Amino acid sequence: MLVRILVLLYLVGAPALAQTLCQPNASNGYRVRISIKTALGNQAYEWNENEMFLFQATMAFAMRRYYKTETYNVDNIIVCNQTRRVSFWFVVISPENPTMLIPKADVEKAVSALTTRLPCRPMSNSMSRHRINNAFLLTDRTLEFLGIHPTLAEPVNPDTPPWLIVFGVVIGAVFAGIIALLVSSLLQKRRKEKGMMEDGQDEEDRQMKGVENGINLDGIYNRGFTDDDRFTKL
Amino acid sequence: MCAQDATMGKDAARAEWDNPMQFVLACVSYAVGLGNVWRFPYLCQMHGGGGFLIPYMLMLVLLGVPLFYMELAIGQKMRLGSIGAWRAISPYLGGVGMASVVTSMYLCLYYNVINAWSFWYLFHSFQSILPWAECPVNSNLTGPVEECERATPTQYFFYRETLDISGSIEENGGIHMGQALCLLLAWIIVYLFIIKGVKSTGKVVYFTATFPYLVLIIYLIRGVTLHGSINGVKYMFTPKMEQLAKPTTWINAATQIFFSLGLGFGSLIAFASYNQYNNNFEKQAIIVSMVNSGTSIFASIVTFSIYGFKATFNYESCLERVRLLLLNTFDLAEDTISLENVNHWIAELNRTHPEQFASLGGRLETCDLEAELDTAVEGTGLAFIVYSEAIKNMPVSQLWSVLYFIMLLLLGMGSMLGNVIAVITPLSDLKFISHYMSTKTLNGLVCLFCLLLGLGFTTRSGNYWFTMFNDYGATFSLLFIVLIEVITVCYIYGIKRFEKDVEDMLGHRLNCYWKIMLAGVSPILLIALFIFYIVNYIQGGTPTYQAWNKELGKSVVTEYPPYAQAFIGLLLASSVCCIPLTALYTYCKKRNLASGKRERTVSTVSA
Repeated sequence: MLVRILVLLYLVGAPALAQTLCQPNASNGYRVRISIKTALGNQAYEWNENEMFLFQATMAFAMRRYYKTETYNVDNIIVCNQTRRVSFWFVVISPENPTMLIPKADVEKAVSALTTRLPCRPMSNSMSRHRINNAFLLTDRTLEFLGIHPTLAEPVNPDTPPWLIVFGVVIGAVFAGIIALLVSSLLQKRRKEKGMMEDGQDEEDRQMKGVENGINLDGIYNRGFTDDDRFTKL
Repeated sequence: MCAQDATMGKDAARAEWDNPMQFVLACVSYAVGLGNVWRFPYLCQMHGGGGFLIPYMLMLVLLGVPLFYMELAIGQKMRLGSIGAWRAISPYLGGVGMASVVTSMYLCLYYNVINAWSFWYLFHSFQSILPWAECPVNSNLTGPVEECERATPTQYFFYRETLDISGSIEENGGIHMGQALCLLLAWIIVYLFIIKGVKSTGKVVYFTATFPYLVLIIYLIRGVTLHGSINGVKYMFTPKMEQLAKPTTWINAATQIFFSLGLGFGSLIAFASYNQYNNNFEKQAIIVSMVNSGTSIFASIVTFSIYGFKATFNYESCLERVRLLLLNTFDLAEDTISLENVNHWIAELNRTHPEQFASLGGRLETCDLEAELDTAVEGTGLAFIVYSEAIKNMPVSQLWSVLYFIMLLLLGMGSMLGNVIAVITPLSDLKFISHYMSTKTLNGLVCLFCLLLGLGFTTRSGNYWFTMFNDYGATFSLLFIVLIEVITVCYIYGIKRFEKDVEDMLGHRLNCYWKIMLAGVSPILLIALFIFYIVNYIQGGTPTYQAWNKELGKSVVTEYPPYAQAFIGLLLASSVCCIPLTALYTYCKKRNLASGKRERTVSTVSA
């Protein structure tokens, strides 16, 4: 009889107790802000009880991944103070002891993860944030845990900076162009010299040939043989 | 008389353009440069939009075209570079040519640094995320780099990663290796273009003159289809006629025409000296001037459509931030506030929840489209900061970035060709140089010399020296040079003799438009400009420059230190005093020769 009363009290009292644990600005709670319409626009889904259940489930999942030994359940994630903005507070209680809140720092560690822009690479327990985001089709910006800053990606440092590669290609092409030009002009000069020695048909040769002792041997146009009839009509 | 001797001697050996088209394209390529893209749109915006076109066109007709015509005529007639040509016109004023060469040399030194920056940006565009799109992460991986947070990512990329700029002109640093490499590349390409003189330059200008137009057309189509571009174009072209009453509008129009056409550097004389004797330069002068001005207007439409896009983007981002702030502070559902009714909600919430609204305090930004459009920028700031900011927000930004910087490169390279030829042509005309080395060696030496000195602009304080050269190296000396040129041709050489020379070349006389402009209107306008510059310089007090402050994340106005001011004076004096010094030298030489060889009947002095 006494046992039954105690069990009844426990079943009734626990949720009430839980509710008092979750309060706005609670020392061990976090505020979550969700912006579905900003993220998805026309394809935005409605935030309702089921979505809230999913949130509690994913939080429990994150806690399980972090504390590999303890099994968290949906009941261990308590939510309160929902607004129209879609923001709410949540706290996490320990599965063994319903009155004990999991400290803020541990919740943070469970949630935060490296957010990378590269495709997901399995990295121990640090991809929880990524998985939480994906469950709701949201990003770090639209599913905000106020107070938990996502650690930024490690900058990718390639061995040779990419600009140097392009530079190398361009300067190689330019050098090739210069060498080609110099070689071609050298070849042209050699061809000209050969041509001059063989009395070839060069422009300069003709000029040189036609001048001897300063007298132009090409001949002068003799007007005596022109057809004057075109000009004078008698 | 002296001119005839010069013509006869040089005719046989002088290189020539393959056809007149190459000459026209070379002039277009030289005149259409970076100033058309980054200076004219700024002036248009500052001086009343569409209304600015009135003083601009007027100055083109009164000042630009006649002076352009005169320089082409001189070059084509004398068939020598600037030094030889001016010496032939009047032996006492050979210094005008020398001053042109000195000014061109200064321009060569610093102008190619812009091409180096364009190369740097071009090479950095081949990345999946443009490096100036986002701030890099700091060493703790907690957030963006501080300097980048205070400024914008594009400013950070320009000032820190491209220039690694120091805090003031006094703080020198090492040479930025990336910049030095890009400058080396730029000079090697210039050498490649001029390696065979006009033969190679003539082929290159087909590309450098036409391809920028292709890119501008592509950008125009992209620009006007961007969201919000119409705001920019409307803003630019709305004429504000009251600006025409201010004298600075007219003065800026005159200086813009003047510098845009590249008068006084000797490049036009050099280009024209490779022409056939009977080339119709009158038609070509008009064509090139019109093309240059037309390109300025065309480029400013493109610039302003991009401006409009950037301003609208920033304005809408601002509205979005305000909207989010209101939603988060007042916990309203997401779809209650949209971008259109943000301002309405601000008033509403102020009325209904005054205390909560007051707690927002300074976080609430005012979003103003006009203010965004008003941020008029010119020069390197426009090209490398504002434009790259606009480009990073376009879809497929890497493609647009590559296209844009290729266009900047071609515009810059085309102008560099003119600058370098202005230095090389007079030097190769000097007998003692052409005797000892071939054109290729001379070209190589000039390029090497300019490269080595130009490395000074790639140091950490290099950008400040660059700005100094840009502001003082060519502006004042050019006005003086062209003023002396016009007075020499019209009054010392004589407008009658000039007329006869032109008739000899073209086959018809100068009509009265050219005579009136060259002998009357242009000199008066030039004298007015010259006086204005002197007055402005004196009234301006100590010359200042914009120093980048990394703590504040913006530029602050700083005074030049005394040694820098002395250097400015040296820059101005070194080109200008060539003219009186050469006149004095020639006078002394003639006097000595006359007194020493009075017995000889034939004077062999030709210059």
